[in-house]
Amino acid sequence: MQLRIPVLFILLCLVLAGLIHIAAVLTLPTLAPKDAWDRLIPLGPANTMIAMPPASPGQSVLPMMGPDVRYAFCRFDLTDGPVRLKATVPDALWLIAFYTPKGENFYAVSGADMRRAQLDLIIATADQPVAEAGVDAPEEADQIVVVTSPVDKGVAVIRAPVVGPSRARRVEQALKGTSCAPHQNKPSEPQDQSAPSEPPTGAAN
Amino acid sequence: MRTLLALVVTFVIALVLGISSAWYMIDRGTPLTTTRVGPWSSWMSEANPNADLYTKAHLARSGRLPITSTTARYFTARTDSDGRDLTSACEYSIQGGALNARWWSIAVYDDQGSVIKNPSERYSFNSEDAIRHSDGTYRISLATHARPENWLPSGDGPEHKLMLMLRVYGPRETDANGIGQIPDDRLPKIERIACS
Repeated sequence: MQLRIPVLFILLCLVLAGLIHIAAVLTLPTLAPKDAWDRLIPLGPANTMIAMPPASPGQSVLPMMGPDVRYAFCRFDLTDGPVRLKATVPDALWLIAFYTPKGENFYAVSGADMRRAQLDLIIATADQPVAEAGVDAPEEADQIVVVTSPVDKGVAVIRAPVVGPSRARRVEQALKGTSCAPHQNKPSEPQDQSAPSEPPTGAAN
Repeated sequence: MRTLLALVVTFVIALVLGISSAWYMIDRGTPLTTTRVGPWSSWMSEANPNADLYTKAHLARSGRLPITSTTARYFTARTDSDGRDLTSACEYSIQGGALNARWWSIAVYDDQGSVIKNPSERYSFNSEDAIRHSDGTYRISLATHARPENWLPSGDGPEHKLMLMLRVYGPRETDANGIGQIPDDRLPKIERIACS
């Protein structure tokens, strides 16, 4: 008897600890200070390409951003139809990644994966037909890559590594040439419709 | 009465154990979720839609938006190669060689994940701008005051903790799970030189 009671308490303690552990793992993400999605919303409207200000001391849109990488993002909203993303990719180092609001990276393509410098992407949900849907691999797409998004709302992020400080301006300029806008299904040429509104953050130099 | 006390103690211990283990596994990771090589640790399934709950919790708390490990790898270090915390009070020598990837960069941050103010506005060195020796290796000096070769300023002012991040874009080799491979011996060594 003398022996069994402490054993009972230890067992109870371990079971309780296990339950509390599971509860904590499930609730900690919701108590997160601010996830990436929350930090991007104040920077501007959806379906617009927005340059993030480069990381500087005490100021960075997301924690631990690469100081030698320039970032631009587009929060896409597919509720009114597919969204089209266009960019002229100047080098093989560029990375374009698509995320759900939880930060799940469901698609990524690098400059090196592409045959051409012109990147033309349509983001659509599985039930939104885009011309001839089904083109998913860059090599079989004539012009346009269709990315099937598992979510209605998400974010596309372009990363452009900078080689030296003098090249930063060139990279920033190239990022300004990217666009993100609702896709019209009728054939048209939505050129330079990209930045109707000034990025409210001012895409710092 | 004694039983009640024992119950309370049991509950308190369970609370501490449960929460601290959850925090540790989310913040620092375990062999289930992270690889550790010397001072470097990397979350293998970060940003993967099929990631486990710990990795998902870690990502949500970090506020970052990383790319999955097929396309990019991120390694963080909070200690030197001997396991002592990185601090602005000490000077370090970071030595490494070429990585089998398209691009890499080593950046230093404070413990809030912000780059550190310095007059030369130098926050990182990458595969293109680090000065290298003829054998392809490089040496970065992480120090408060200017150093020859590659000086990565750790900032002046009050002593603060430091964090290094090595980001590797486009690893050229992947394993069966599609995780970009960086051989262990290729990751840079972080050697403490002196402390003030």
